[in-house]
Amino acid sequence: MRTARRCLLGLGFLVCGAPSAHAKTSCALSRVSGVFETVRAFVVQQIGPDAQKPKPQAIQPAPAGGPSVDLGDLSQPETVERRLRAAVPAPRPDLQLTIPNGQARLGDFSIGSAETVTGHLLVVGGDANVYGKLLGNLVTMDGNVVMHPGGAVSGDILALHGDVKGQGGEIGGEVRTLNAGTQPPAQPATAGSTLATVGRNVAGVFGVFFTLLALGVGVVMFARPSLEIVSDTVSYSFGRSFVTGLVGQILVLPTFGMLVVGLVLSVAGILLLPFAVVVYALLVILGVVGGYLAVAHAIGETYTRRRLARGMVVGSPNSYRYLLAGLVALFALWAAWSVIGWVPVAGELVRAAAVLVTWLLGTAGFGAALLSRAGARQSFAGRLIPAEALTDEYLWATPQVGVPAVRRPETGRGARPGSRPDSGR
Amino acid sequence: MRAAGLAATLAVGCVGVLPAQTMRPFVTFRQLHGETRLAARLDFAAGRLRLAPGRATELYRMSLSYDADRFIPLSYYESSGNAVALGVDAAGGAGLRVVSRNQLRQEASVELSPRADLSLIMSLGAVEADLDVGGLRIADLRLKAGASRTVLRFSEANPIHCGRADISAGAAEVSVLELGNSGCDRLRVEGGIGRMTLDFSGAWSRSQQAELNLAVTELRLRLPRKVGVRVTMDRFLASFEPDGLVRQGGAWVSPGYDKAERHLDIALQTAVGAVRVDWTR
Repeated sequence: MRTARRCLLGLGFLVCGAPSAHAKTSCALSRVSGVFETVRAFVVQQIGPDAQKPKPQAIQPAPAGGPSVDLGDLSQPETVERRLRAAVPAPRPDLQLTIPNGQARLGDFSIGSAETVTGHLLVVGGDANVYGKLLGNLVTMDGNVVMHPGGAVSGDILALHGDVKGQGGEIGGEVRTLNAGTQPPAQPATAGSTLATVGRNVAGVFGVFFTLLALGVGVVMFARPSLEIVSDTVSYSFGRSFVTGLVGQILVLPTFGMLVVGLVLSVAGILLLPFAVVVYALLVILGVVGGYLAVAHAIGETYTRRRLARGMVVGSPNSYRYLLAGLVALFALWAAWSVIGWVPVAGELVRAAAVLVTWLLGTAGFGAALLSRAGARQSFAGRLIPAEALTDEYLWATPQVGVPAVRRPETGRGARPGSRPDSGR
Repeated sequence: MRAAGLAATLAVGCVGVLPAQTMRPFVTFRQLHGETRLAARLDFAAGRLRLAPGRATELYRMSLSYDADRFIPLSYYESSGNAVALGVDAAGGAGLRVVSRNQLRQEASVELSPRADLSLIMSLGAVEADLDVGGLRIADLRLKAGASRTVLRFSEANPIHCGRADISAGAAEVSVLELGNSGCDRLRVEGGIGRMTLDFSGAWSRSQQAELNLAVTELRLRLPRKVGVRVTMDRFLASFEPDGLVRQGGAWVSPGYDKAERHLDIALQTAVGAVRVDWTR
């Protein structure tokens, strides 16, 4: 029987799947199309949805301690579904399930027009046709509820993976249908869409890069000493800067809250509140962006000095070049992500690395900006000698320690030309 | 080091194989059995929401497509109080919640009976809502909008008297249109950080009083010429363009206010914002 059904299934597939092909290729087949139609109808009948329905029968109540599902409350359909799926993993004829104050049926079930069923009703793997009265709740699992004229259900109806078809009838309670989940259609990964994604990412990364570069040029132009001090603070006290930046990030919001509360509580301060909010936000943005630019400056400076130390020719080592080199280095990871971001795992890895590196360096830059008071304080910048003390005499390659000071040549009598002043000792 | 690398790879791999968002269709409705009133509560955390008058044979109906991984459908009717709760509720507990773009794909269409007197309470989260209550019998209305874009429209005149309408919005863009059809005696609006449009056009079967408390909000008032309008204002760092209103004592009034058949009295408190007045027919 099973073999015969498979044969019919294969035949039916041919007929259903390629009707145009057989019409084009075989005239003889077209003559017997009536036969095929008959076979096709038979196959559809055999393998169609109705064929999968279990034979209608009552589900016997389970023995004590066996599976039991209460259908008294259907207001949480997902919960009812979960319990039913656990109790009825598959609609088998030997299924046993207890429905408190009710009954369970396997396969199609009808309540006749002159019939009254008392208690809750569960129908598994079939349709429930209601012509008569049901005094209770009705639940179908993998089947529909069909309300016919004159039919009545006094309680709620829940159709799990089914529908409620109303051709009349009266439902005293609430009707709910819960169907299988569908996933939103995924965008096909075509070459065009990948290219568009890459193009969008590259444009975004370059846009941010040039924005930061423009800001950096402005900072170098108008506030180079401050930028250099923050940059030196990052280079000389990186760990301290990072910790300070981390603490600063944590304290940004509490500090803002304290500021607002303090201003609100003070009578005069409340007038300043809008301005204080704006100024605070600007200061935070300035600290973060300025710190990040200072990190770029520090990276570029270190890189350029190493090249100079190797004897390589560098055009003009100045802050503009440092900034450009540093930003290029900082954005290298983002540029890589913009190109390979669409690759499933590698793209995520590169993005995670880029986010991590950006956060690390941004935190250090923010901390350096805080430590140096936005470039006003040099304590952590590694500048041991104040700038004003740097005079030309430090440029002489004279050892500063271990050699006694040279005595001024004696110009008086007894001084021999060419002799050391202390030669007589 | 190798273990850390393996852990990182596994973590990223797991992120890659997380199941995709599952949208489940859910439909609920209740036949009308002669109910004359309904207390409807509508909670919708994220997604798109549409509200409209329903069929005459049904008390309510909701067709929902929800994110089964994060939300559960809400559908509960209490027959003793003729009260229904509809919408979606977060599947987890309370706490900080971040709404992703995917969650905004949730959609709900709610229909309420035009035959029952409605006490309507709506609580909206990150929602794009189109709420047309025109033709519904609104006895009272409360709308609480979070970070939403909400349009509440009285497209048809309310057949019954509405006691009051309370609207509160935070970080939202809210438009309440054709308030003249609402039939509400009192309108109370609270808004913070957002944009709000209050359109008072409509049939105007009775006079209205509106109490508006706004902060950091751009308010656009659309006033009907056929109604006498009086605006009393308490403002701080807020601009006001009283286009078409004249100063009378401590208030701004429309020309012919005293002779108008219907009156709209607006008490407006606003801080750090802007108030603009437009006129409609």
